[in-house]
Amino acid sequence: MAGHDDHKDVKYVGDSRIRAQRTPNYPKDYSEYPGKTEPFWPNFLLKEWMVGAVVLIGFLILTVSHEPPLQVIADPTDTNYSPIPDWYFLFLYEVLKYTYASGPYTVIGTVIIPGLAVGALLLAPWLDPGPERRWYKRPIASGLMFMTIISLFILTYQAAEGHNWEQEERYAHDSPAQNVEIDTSEEGYQIYAAQSCIACHGDQLQGAVGPPIFDAGAKYDADGVRDLIENGIGEMPPGQFEGSEEELDILVEWLVSLGTDAAPSGDASDEEGSADGNGEGD
Amino acid sequence: MLQKLYDWVDERLDITPMWRDIADHEVPEHVNPAHHFSAFVYCFGGLTFFIVVIQFLSGMFLTMYYVPDIVNAHASVMYLQNEVAFGAIVRGMHHWGASVVIVLMFLHTLRVFFTGAYKKPRELNWVVGVLLFLVILGLGFTGYLLPWDMKAYFATSVGVEIAASIPVIGGLAEDLLTGGTILGAETLTRFFAIHVFFLPAALMALLAAHFIMIRRQGISGPL
Amino acid sequence: MSENDQQKTNDVSRRQFLNYTLMGVGGFLVAGTITPMLRFAIDPVLKVDEETDMVAIGDISKYGPEPTREDFQFPVKDGWAEYELPQTAWISVFENDKGEREVLALSPICKHLGCTVQWDTHEDYPEHFYCPCHDGLYTKDGINVPGTPPTAPLDVYQYKVDDKGTLYLGKAVPREEL
Repeated sequence: MAGHDDHKDVKYVGDSRIRAQRTPNYPKDYSEYPGKTEPFWPNFLLKEWMVGAVVLIGFLILTVSHEPPLQVIADPTDTNYSPIPDWYFLFLYEVLKYTYASGPYTVIGTVIIPGLAVGALLLAPWLDPGPERRWYKRPIASGLMFMTIISLFILTYQAAEGHNWEQEERYAHDSPAQNVEIDTSEEGYQIYAAQSCIACHGDQLQGAVGPPIFDAGAKYDADGVRDLIENGIGEMPPGQFEGSEEELDILVEWLVSLGTDAAPSGDASDEEGSADGNGEGD
Repeated sequence: MLQKLYDWVDERLDITPMWRDIADHEVPEHVNPAHHFSAFVYCFGGLTFFIVVIQFLSGMFLTMYYVPDIVNAHASVMYLQNEVAFGAIVRGMHHWGASVVIVLMFLHTLRVFFTGAYKKPRELNWVVGVLLFLVILGLGFTGYLLPWDMKAYFATSVGVEIAASIPVIGGLAEDLLTGGTILGAETLTRFFAIHVFFLPAALMALLAAHFIMIRRQGISGPL
Repeated sequence: MSENDQQKTNDVSRRQFLNYTLMGVGGFLVAGTITPMLRFAIDPVLKVDEETDMVAIGDISKYGPEPTREDFQFPVKDGWAEYELPQTAWISVFENDKGEREVLALSPICKHLGCTVQWDTHEDYPEHFYCPCHDGLYTKDGINVPGTPPTAPLDVYQYKVDDKGTLYLGKAVPREEL
């Protein structure tokens, strides 16, 4: 279309290198391509964007329905917290628990295995140089990849299962467990501390090895609490309490009183300044 | 009117070839889900990019309220999430988006791997793709510390210990990551800088290389 | 020939239709992504000012018709940060025409360019608020003297006096808003 004698007298726009004589912007003639091809713009892009719109809707529903988690401010001195990485690093975290990837072999888990994996991935085109592209025609490459995927899933699953997820909730920034204030001068608390309860349920009843029990009264009545202390539940063995009958009475009474009035003491005490009577108003 | 403006710019800068380069090319049948439904697997790359764009945008907006400082970081995140309108959604987009990007990128990588699309002549683009994968994992790791909550602090301390266990350079790597002897104020500013400036810059450069190579080479042929 | 032409026009309109649809879907993608973020960004503009508390300054009997300088701390809630902002007021208490007690607590911020005014410091302008930056002048009740740079009277603190005679000050507001 453009002048075939361009090389003879080429005219430019001003002193730029842009050619003054421009070819009209006809779309390409697609008939020379085989198969049912279609233009990227707008036909194919429209399909891609429609898929994108569906994904966006799903994504927005996810963000609206799930508030991003936020825990309480970092406290480096809290030794009860068991750390957990984000889910996509869980497999690595789990690898480090294996005997031959920990202790004197840590370097295997932290450097050698990830290094080999990343190296193999980077060099895949040269490790698998054959011209064959179908996955079932190159069993070694595909097999290794399948094994990697399966082990990633297994490792992630094991790490997730081994973690105490209850902890995440207990440390959430709006968790009631963080706002408990226990009156440690109470007689019930003295008994709680003197018996073995405090070791598992924490000095603020916020839970540690055992679950939080600061709101025990909201869940159980006096008989229920007494039954739990005497007979145990779950991992808590029976007969842990070794005090007298009167002490047990006091402890039960104190625990039951907690859920009802002591628990919400954390918030709801924001001072509401009286801002009326501005003298002259505005 | 718009056409005139376009012509005016085009006369001076000759933008039509650029435009045609980006938009005006053929898409072969075997990647088109309209012809073969299984071709939806070819969407993962584009969707990854879409979520990356969301990450860029939401991250830019989050820095309007966030401060990388151990005293205020947590309070500012709490403020932007609970007090600012749509704060939970914008932070949610960034938080969940990080996971979605990794899932989609994983699927994209698997698609490229199992269709053998990394083979000659596309070796270099595969290498750039693996680097992109690492950069995005790095963004996930550095971003995790920024809210400065319990999870952030302890997950990062594990990550730093992993770096410290590397033989020979472990100690150096640890000091470089934490910016001092303890995981604290200087670690947070460091991670912030890496998360917000260094890695995104690398991400953009690698993405540009990724896309230019795709345009140069076209989509790999049908199996 | 004519059939070919017809097909060509059909092609163009189809392409145009696809273009419009593409713009629509693209618009949805952009809007869905950016709307929450924009609302997030402009939130400070749309946030309603919170009612500010008033701070106790002292017993009202301390003050007479002569402006007295009083420094006090005003609590501010600034995003996630809460701190005290030092403030200064020139307080005078007098009886107005109707014989009622009136309190005037003036902000020392000059309405010209924001320097700080002082009472009765310049020897040429006794009994006036004087701004050293550009020779701005205000009378004793805070009204700007015509012919000097300021164009508005000094801001006035909102106030209240409780039963015990304690004076409380609030925010400084422009005169017209009172």
